[in-house]
Amino acid sequence: MKMAAKQPEIKAASGSPLWKRFKKQQGMHYFVWIGLVFLLVFSYTPMFGILMAFKDYSITSGVKGIFTSEWVGFRYFAEFYNDYQFYEIIRNTLMLSFLKVIFTFPVPILFAIMLNEVKNLAFKRVVQTASYLPHFISWVVVLGVAFTFLSGDIGMINNLFMSWGWIEQPIPFLTSGSYFWGTAIGTAIWKEAGWWAIIFLASIAGINPALYEAAQIDGAGRLSRIWHITLPGIKGTVVVVLILTIGSILGGGLIGSNFDQAYLFGNASNNSTSEIVQTYAFKAGLAQGRFSYAAAIDLFQSVISVILIFSSNYIAKRVSGNGLF
Amino acid sequence: MKKKIASSLLSFTLAASLLTACAGNNEPNAPQTPAEGGEGAGSDEIVELDLFIHHSWYPVQSWRGTIADELTKRTGVKLNVTVASDDQQLPLMIASGDLPDLIFANRETRLENEDLAYPWNELIEQYAPDFVIDPTRLAVNTAQDGNVYSVMNSYATPEEWESNPFALGNDGNPGIAVREDIMEALGNPAIESLEDFENILDQVKAEYPDMVPLTIDINWIYHYFQMQFGMPPHSNWYEDGGTLHHKLKHPAMLEYYKFMNNMYRKGHILAENFTYGNDQIDDEYAQSGRAFAHMHTVSVAERNNAALAAQGEEFRFRMIPSTLTDKAINISSSTGFSGVYITRNNSNPEKSIQFLEYLASDEGKELVMFGIEGEQWEWHEDGYPVFTYDVNDEEYVNNEGLKWWYLYSDAIVEGLRAYVPGLQSTQALEEIKAVTEFSPAIGMVRLRSGTDERVIFDRIEEMRKNEEVKIYLATSEEAAEQAYHNMMKLADGIGIDRLEAYADEQYQKNLQEIE
Repeated sequence: MKMAAKQPEIKAASGSPLWKRFKKQQGMHYFVWIGLVFLLVFSYTPMFGILMAFKDYSITSGVKGIFTSEWVGFRYFAEFYNDYQFYEIIRNTLMLSFLKVIFTFPVPILFAIMLNEVKNLAFKRVVQTASYLPHFISWVVVLGVAFTFLSGDIGMINNLFMSWGWIEQPIPFLTSGSYFWGTAIGTAIWKEAGWWAIIFLASIAGINPALYEAAQIDGAGRLSRIWHITLPGIKGTVVVVLILTIGSILGGGLIGSNFDQAYLFGNASNNSTSEIVQTYAFKAGLAQGRFSYAAAIDLFQSVISVILIFSSNYIAKRVSGNGLF
Repeated sequence: MKKKIASSLLSFTLAASLLTACAGNNEPNAPQTPAEGGEGAGSDEIVELDLFIHHSWYPVQSWRGTIADELTKRTGVKLNVTVASDDQQLPLMIASGDLPDLIFANRETRLENEDLAYPWNELIEQYAPDFVIDPTRLAVNTAQDGNVYSVMNSYATPEEWESNPFALGNDGNPGIAVREDIMEALGNPAIESLEDFENILDQVKAEYPDMVPLTIDINWIYHYFQMQFGMPPHSNWYEDGGTLHHKLKHPAMLEYYKFMNNMYRKGHILAENFTYGNDQIDDEYAQSGRAFAHMHTVSVAERNNAALAAQGEEFRFRMIPSTLTDKAINISSSTGFSGVYITRNNSNPEKSIQFLEYLASDEGKELVMFGIEGEQWEWHEDGYPVFTYDVNDEEYVNNEGLKWWYLYSDAIVEGLRAYVPGLQSTQALEEIKAVTEFSPAIGMVRLRSGTDERVIFDRIEEMRKNEEVKIYLATSEEAAEQAYHNMMKLADGIGIDRLEAYADEQYQKNLQEIE
């Protein structure tokens, strides 16, 4: 009741000078300020650390050393560029990321649509719950599960295929570069598709049921209704999620977890496809105490990410008319 | 509303204080003379010192047990212990300047810095003039600025090793154990050469197809076999013709890789074994009865057998000889495992150095490694300790506070603790000691963090880890050779020659210093 009573006051003051309006809205502003302070302290302030990428920084010089150490220009960027693994690492990062978007992005949408078509409520709930539970399992545990299924020696899948006579030798899912991307995408879908389907299910729930009834009266079949009502109805959500996905594409997009997967599933035998920018920055930079080098590598990746998010936003605007900014 | 403003300001202040805590005045360089020391200096009061242990696996987590109490009684020092949660904790502590009184770590070149740690030589001169460290130990522990910031434990001079026949070494030496029952079923064939061992693995593969012939601890993949091919198992360097070389360039390296690749191609070793994410998987294979041979350290048979006895299993393991070729060699170039750094934040440097002086005395070393004389051990007439407890009983050892407070110790007293007649590990260590040559000058080669040579070394190590597996898992001998040559080409590109020249220069200096 209080809010309802205040509403007209704010409206009435809309034409008054700025400071008067500000005073009226003061209470609301506190919420914004808290958010801004949080952003300033935790997102913007630490950015001075980027300086490290251009300096000969040593950890023993502490935080002060970020400002006082010697400038070295693009030395660490050049070192990364000249590393024998440079092209391999960039290729792996981009391939893993793009493959993930291509294969993992449509799955939650399709899954949500399929679930929406299920009429048996009990079955629908069981499937939905079972599908999003893996989201709460850590990647370390997923690795253990994957080992049980995919190991060349004790893996259930290899043993099954061999007992059926489909293969003579175990498939080296975990120890060959040829299988890493497939394993990464497969486990990512298993772990996260159910969780992300929730957002699309919510979007579908927002579609006016009268549209379906009208279409049904007009003789539209199930597929026609999905094609002409459900998909256009969730188009806005799909585009926004797609832009967010592409914005974080180098981290694994919607599903995320590029680092976790490459670090945990990656090993010396599949390194040719599993080493990505983040794992390389961790191993060659942080683990060896070379913070400047690690900062340079990560900054390099950030530049690629920024280019990708602007490009995807531009394309989305041109294609669908929707964009984030 | 005022309350709201106040809470907003409070949030901001808290956040700002967090930042300043990171950036702030935790200056490791802050001048603090030893004289500012502490309240306990020279008094009978118990002095408490904070000790950080840079080993996340450390089995003792607090200053407790008979030995810790006895040390406090005899020295007046009590330690508040913190064990590292991971490898990144110490670098972050150094970065923030938030250092404890004492740090126990493997040689940490970042702490070999007058701004961060007190040089022992200065403290000894000022507070412990009777604390005498022998010249060889001083030489191997002298930092590049000429100071001694720590003295590593687990080190002994070649002369000390030779004059102490019962000091054999510790568990950090490679060994292979095989299943006794299967050996019996195969007719107990002799294992006197690498060929004998390979033949037995062939037999196991043929007669027990569901079994893995050889499982290897992920941290001990190469040590045993490199030793058989005449390569130093523990060092990245070897000496040839008076100059120092990187081990990748060892003339026997290709032969070793071909041997391992052959074992893999014959199905003796699983491909996954080279990529295990932890060091428990090989134990599971061995202790669940799925592996015939288990390669790890000299105590592998005894550890497996203890676990099998606890599980109620009937089969047991036994060690195979530690040397299977005439070329077998062990170059001991270790200059120690870990030592104490007395940081500039130390509240009582005087008491700290006096505490270490006590640990360095015979009484101190024996108390820590053996226990209380007369109660827990006594000397055998031949000159080795005889214990009243089982030295391999980890629970007892840890609860008593035995062994692990060796903040200053040496490899002789540690090696004497490992001498228990009748144990398989004792025999394995005796065999290894017989082929051991000592070369501390190699161990003294140091690559300071932040230098170009250190970067080259680390990059070669990372490259080796990735490329080596391609050799192990090559599908033919030709492919293995090709992968080896490719690895050497990459090592050349990264700068292995420059690294060798730098290391050799240090090596030559070290030789002169030791002489």
